[in-house]
Amino acid sequence: MTAFHDAAPAVFDWLRGLARDAEVWFPQPAGSANFNFERVDAHSQLSFEGYRPSIVPPVKRLLPAREVMFEFHKDADGRYAFQQKPDAGLRVLAGVRPCDLKGIAEMDVAFADGHADPLYLRRRANAAIVAYACPHPCDERCFCGSTGAIDFRGGADVFLTPDGLTPDGDALLIEAMTPRGEQMLANAGLKVCDDAKTIRERALARRPQPFGRQLKATPEALPAILAAAYDSPVWDKYAERCYSCTTCNLVCPTCYCFEVQDEFDLDGQSGCRTRTWDACMSPAFAEVTGGHNFRAETAARHRHRVKRKFEYLTDKYGMGSFCTGCGRCGRQCTVDIDIFDMVNDIVEQAGGNAR
Amino acid sequence: MSALPDINDDLYIPQMGRIVETYPMTQREKYFRLELDRPLGHRPGQFVMVSIPGVGEAAISISCGPRDDSVLEMVVRHAGNVTGAMHRLEAGNYLGIRGPFGSGFHLEEFEGRDVLFVAGGLGLVPLRSLITPIMRHHERYGRIRLISGARTPAETLFRDELKAWNALPNVEVIELVDRTDQLPWDGEVGLVTAPIARLDLDPARTLVALCGPPVMYKFVLMELGMHHRIPREQIFVDLERRMKCGVGKCGHCQINSLYCCKDGPVFRYSTVAALPEALA
Repeated sequence: MTAFHDAAPAVFDWLRGLARDAEVWFPQPAGSANFNFERVDAHSQLSFEGYRPSIVPPVKRLLPAREVMFEFHKDADGRYAFQQKPDAGLRVLAGVRPCDLKGIAEMDVAFADGHADPLYLRRRANAAIVAYACPHPCDERCFCGSTGAIDFRGGADVFLTPDGLTPDGDALLIEAMTPRGEQMLANAGLKVCDDAKTIRERALARRPQPFGRQLKATPEALPAILAAAYDSPVWDKYAERCYSCTTCNLVCPTCYCFEVQDEFDLDGQSGCRTRTWDACMSPAFAEVTGGHNFRAETAARHRHRVKRKFEYLTDKYGMGSFCTGCGRCGRQCTVDIDIFDMVNDIVEQAGGNAR
Repeated sequence: MSALPDINDDLYIPQMGRIVETYPMTQREKYFRLELDRPLGHRPGQFVMVSIPGVGEAAISISCGPRDDSVLEMVVRHAGNVTGAMHRLEAGNYLGIRGPFGSGFHLEEFEGRDVLFVAGGLGLVPLRSLITPIMRHHERYGRIRLISGARTPAETLFRDELKAWNALPNVEVIELVDRTDQLPWDGEVGLVTAPIARLDLDPARTLVALCGPPVMYKFVLMELGMHHRIPREQIFVDLERRMKCGVGKCGHCQINSLYCCKDGPVFRYSTVAALPEALA
């Protein structure tokens, strides 16, 4: 695979060029202190500086908050005809940090498992990813260095590594990671580099150690610790101040639960079935017909969310924790409930440091 | 991503099924017999996702045993939007069907064994998909016992079939109601747990299949544990959860680490005994 070494502005020119033929999404400032993945056009001012994880993770460009699953129309004899409009648009998700790259890889596996989900996977197949290796933790909430996500490289078509020679890292190593990435870079006019390894290692060596906050147990140790902590008082401690607003679910790069709803057009004969994000922190999420709620208590829902990220899906898919350590849930929580603190409390209660 | 898996682009698209017969079985439950475009090809204990476009979709148990024709039988309680709308439909109307989904029972495993069914209320509906094929070939099985409970005589289901099964050799059907409500009743009065103690069960030979409201499982399993030492691998529970997709994606039906729709809804008790969210 080919590698290049060039200045950041040349890379931004390349991305703006890609935006002529595809939707290119890049994290751009939103409001005073936040970022969001927004469409790139010929005039977009792009930068890697000052980034904090976008409020909504980039994977949600592949799993929209609301999407039409199919349209239906009632025939004269009362039968229904169904029609799908596949989303075949080409997308480039650029500036994707390793935490979000791992999130996308985990979504890929979850949606492909068993009955493969056509809506996500078709969109995913048409999405290219340009990842960016973080030279330092984004802010005080990150703990990707503790979940292992910081070193994740799978699923990227192109990988950008800031050189590290200058404090703001304005030169980049640009590596094609897949044939598609190779193709995307073919006419970029970037300077070819034949010593990617040295630059990569140099960037790695300059990374602060430890990288961001550290959990008190490794992702490998956590499933067993959590399995033993089912009745822990820690769940109640955090539930006491939780509003069940579900923000933590909505901003999570590995939350994919959804609700399904039908909508009728005014003619009463046609309409569509939609799916929208849902959230296991929502009080009625596990309610069944007849009114029984299998997770009526807020604490039970916290436990479910944490165990799902660090135990259930870890055991099921063997990809490490499904919490990437991006820190979004804690960063966005109104009452400062941070999954990092919950997990560390559980570890401490289980007998302390298991790193 | 590395390689795209086999994708069924129609995963969420229902097939049309025509209602050929429907009638109220009780005040709350309605029977449906559908003719599909092709045989459903299901196992006992599986379910379908039933659609009324514009209203929504709900997971509904399949109530008939495996069949070669394109018939689908269901009994639906008026409990929500979709089931409510189903109750307003009549013969000739169409329903959307996806499936069959879920684990289900494997009939082969029951052959040559004694079988105990415990059905609480509407639990008889999904269990009937297993009971019917077993009763049809009752000679292939050992002793067959069925305990079926309802709240009142007015809420009993499939009584004709229960009586016909009871008349078969080696079959005993015990019918109960919680209370008679001053209605004529020729069965027993009590909960489905009541007859368990007196049953003469051979723990090594017996397979048990349970289905009922969430509260039932704990007490039936307690009675079984107290009076009969049937290994947990030989007890099947057929669980109910709210499902939005039926295919292990939407997350609603999760029981701790398991998906009721994909890993269940039929589970061996040995699989779910350690899962605190399984049996209420």
